[in-house]
Amino acid sequence: MNVADVPILSIITFLPLAGAILVALIPRRMVGATRAAALGTALLAWVFSLFLLLGYVPDRPGFAGFQYQEVVDWIPVFGIQYKVGVDGLSVALVILTTTLTWISILASFGPIKERVKEYMASFLVLEVGMIGVFVALDLFLFYIFWEIVLVPMYLIIGIWGGANRIYATIKFVLYTLVGSLLMLVAILATAFVFQAATGSWTGAFDYESLRAFSGSVGFSDTFQLFAFLAFFLAFAIKVPMFPFHTWLPDAHVEAPTAGSVILAAILLKLGAYGFIRFALPLFPDAAATFAPAIIALSLIAIVYGAIVALVQPDLKKLVAYSSVSHMGFVTLGIFIFQEQGMQGAIVQMISHGLITGALFLLVGVIYERTHDRLIAKMGGLAAPVPVYAATLGFFVFASAGLPGLAGFVGEFLVLVGAYAYSPWVAAIAALCMILAAAYLLWMFQRVAFGEVSDFLRSLGHHLTDMRPVEILTLVPLGTLVVVFGLFPGLLLELVQGTVVSVLHDVGAGTAINLFFWQ
Amino acid sequence: MAWADIVTIAPLLASILLAAAIVLVDMALPGRRTPVLLVSFAGLAVVTALIFITGQESATAFGGAYVVDPLTTFLDLLFVSIVALTILFAPDYLEPRDLPLAEFCATLVFAMSGAMLISAAADLLVLFLGLELMVLPGYLLAGFAKRDALSTEGAIKYFLLGSFSSAIFLFGLAFVWGLTGTTRVSGVADALSTIVAGGAPLSAGLAMGLAFLTAGVAFKIAAVPFHYWTPDAYQGSPTPVTGYLSVGPKIGAFALIIRLFVEALGPVQADWMPVIWVLAALTMTLGNLVALTQTNVKRMLAYSSIAHTGYMLVGLTAYAAGQIDGLEGLLYYGAAYTFMNLGAFAVVAALQRRPGVTSSLDTFAGLGRREPILGILMTLFMLSLTGIPPTAGFFGKAYVILAAVEAGPPVNYLAIIAVLNAAMAAFYYLRVVVYMYMRDPAGEPTVSRHGVLVWVGLAVTTFATIVFGLFPSALVDVVTNAARAVVRA
Repeated sequence: MNVADVPILSIITFLPLAGAILVALIPRRMVGATRAAALGTALLAWVFSLFLLLGYVPDRPGFAGFQYQEVVDWIPVFGIQYKVGVDGLSVALVILTTTLTWISILASFGPIKERVKEYMASFLVLEVGMIGVFVALDLFLFYIFWEIVLVPMYLIIGIWGGANRIYATIKFVLYTLVGSLLMLVAILATAFVFQAATGSWTGAFDYESLRAFSGSVGFSDTFQLFAFLAFFLAFAIKVPMFPFHTWLPDAHVEAPTAGSVILAAILLKLGAYGFIRFALPLFPDAAATFAPAIIALSLIAIVYGAIVALVQPDLKKLVAYSSVSHMGFVTLGIFIFQEQGMQGAIVQMISHGLITGALFLLVGVIYERTHDRLIAKMGGLAAPVPVYAATLGFFVFASAGLPGLAGFVGEFLVLVGAYAYSPWVAAIAALCMILAAAYLLWMFQRVAFGEVSDFLRSLGHHLTDMRPVEILTLVPLGTLVVVFGLFPGLLLELVQGTVVSVLHDVGAGTAINLFFWQ
Repeated sequence: MAWADIVTIAPLLASILLAAAIVLVDMALPGRRTPVLLVSFAGLAVVTALIFITGQESATAFGGAYVVDPLTTFLDLLFVSIVALTILFAPDYLEPRDLPLAEFCATLVFAMSGAMLISAAADLLVLFLGLELMVLPGYLLAGFAKRDALSTEGAIKYFLLGSFSSAIFLFGLAFVWGLTGTTRVSGVADALSTIVAGGAPLSAGLAMGLAFLTAGVAFKIAAVPFHYWTPDAYQGSPTPVTGYLSVGPKIGAFALIIRLFVEALGPVQADWMPVIWVLAALTMTLGNLVALTQTNVKRMLAYSSIAHTGYMLVGLTAYAAGQIDGLEGLLYYGAAYTFMNLGAFAVVAALQRRPGVTSSLDTFAGLGRREPILGILMTLFMLSLTGIPPTAGFFGKAYVILAAVEAGPPVNYLAIIAVLNAAMAAFYYLRVVVYMYMRDPAGEPTVSRHGVLVWVGLAVTTFATIVFGLFPSALVDVVTNAARAVVRA
């Protein structure tokens, strides 16, 4: 069998499902075996996903650049296919997913002692959904993976979460569901418009044929407006953009550590990915129409998230609101329709995944020892737990956008793009980098320096420094933060094709005049 | 009556004979469970075989009053599945409560005969006959626990309102008959085509007839605002009966709607479409809103079944607006709903095996830990009822929504209303999951053993819920055939 014939994307996507079934079959008392099986599967999926890089050819022209494609007819009556394929953006995000999944599973070994089996199975199913979203090239299939993500996350927050977990998890599900169901209507409507125009269901859900259709015939103005709004709502809730962000702090605070990590690192990226992959190229005119409004919302998110983060007393909430702010950069970068901007947005997606994932892990580490997350109770951590404090410092600086680390690259590129769009936008966004430095460094100062607080002193020998396993979970993230900070070209080259082709499609779009804006 | 007629109605005959046979077996061997079940399942297998055989080609009998087409076959198979599954789930519930199994099975099979008669009716009188044969056993079943006050109350409400609605429905039929001069479905359709061909507005008589017919069937499918009997009848009935009532008579009534509204009243569909639109919107929204506040799972499922009626009506509206996909979606939804809803009721019934266990949400607390398999299955059914992929419920919803989107305004607004409702429904369906996995049981949890029949039934419903979600193609072909059969060229 030829190497090219190996259905590697299906293997990566469904390997975790096999793992979940395996985990479900292991007897309940064999906790060690359960954990090992889950970690093993996740590692295997990770290794397979790295193979994607080996065979990937970055500079295929145009958007015909989807590689490793697999196409099987699924529901032929409606032209629905099982169609998967990846371009540079997908490859990057798939690898981010597989990496963070095994890290999260490893990081859960300590904290999760109850119902380990269900937990590990949920996590692996979650991985199936996330990878599926990034590789699906059929809108129906995409929607299915999109919704599959919801269920395990709902369980992870609801079963293993904090005191107020049920409220948080139901809020998370309902918010997401409202958006995604409207997107379902939009997907079906898009397919129908295609069917009505071509007279056949063949290719009606196929991403490539829809995109070709959008580029040649194009969807009508009114249709674009409504369809874009529906997609926008689904993605904006997921990102989350201001004012749809209110589920995020609740979900983050209540979720177990690994749940927060995945939520921040991957789930939020699903929304941004959706914008780049679907909303922009399929409905370019509507995207151009709404871009100014979305840029305004992004700026609000950037500043608002930062200001609210400044006053948070709880470490986890602070990181959660910093996510709102950082993801604002992503949506800003996407909607200024400018090469550097979109490159920056993508780099920011990856770097935010790495850095915020690490920050949530670090909050988890200290919470496990102190059972507390209040900044006010900490203080002087540098003395009793120097390794922890140093690691925290590293990721805090990375998050604040220290040059030489990945966080800087993304924000800098977005700012360059934003400046080309409008100096004012760039100025407001840049303000946020100062605010980010303020809330992050102030937090770090209060937590790490000064006198060791009475609370920490009272813990005595319970306050131990990082264990090797915990360090092991953070090393890959830290390494990648440095590598992408120093050699952003590695990432930029990978996603260049995607950026150019999406911008090409959007560039063809001219804003639709809404009667009330004229 | 020709020999060919007998052959054509063979499944129906077999079904009626089966009901009689069950009663006879019980008389010969009173109180024995095994013979009754053996006869029931052997009989249902024969009926199924006959449905397949007669369904090979379309045919009519009795001068065109009875018709066998792909729609008949599809619906009959669905009815047999409903009855077979209900019988699988019933013994474990009935025995501890000293409720007789044989009467239960026989009554169910009689109801099934009525439903089969509806699905094959090509004449308004046969339609009414089938309807009554289907609903009368339903009243009996609702009051099956005759010493239980709630059961009796529910049965009386169901009976009184049901009789009223039957009378109203019959009154409507009389109007249609009077104006068209025929009771044949095809004849009515032809006459109506001629009447509306000139483009004149509906006559007052026809409009009244339509109104009565709509009200009559709206009662039977429990559409808002004709749904008031549902919660009491559902909550009061023994749980396996509730499961049956939530799917059997509902699908049966939809069969009636297809034969009557789609076929006979097809030519005036533009006139009844707006009414169904309003009914659909009201039914979905009110059913879900009220279900939100329920703390009893049976009552919650009763209100949610009202909401599901609404989703199915969306398909009907889309059909009336000219999209045959709407009818296909309605049929698909009916099949999907049958299996997921029966599955959910089966779990409730299994938990209530010990008499005295209520169907309140507290019964479900900690179920995921006590009985992991039941917990997972219930989660699956709840997700499917919510419409989360990859389950049958999701594809059913996607199907009717697609049809609504295709139909254009004003039907596509129903698509938006439907999805917002689905999001609302997620709240109460997932609350069951919350109780199962995120709450600890109050008091000493009891683990009961479940009979092998229950497991078989659960396996079937689970299998259908997953397969109709993951691989919908086969069923899509079947419902497409069935829908095409009734649409006039």
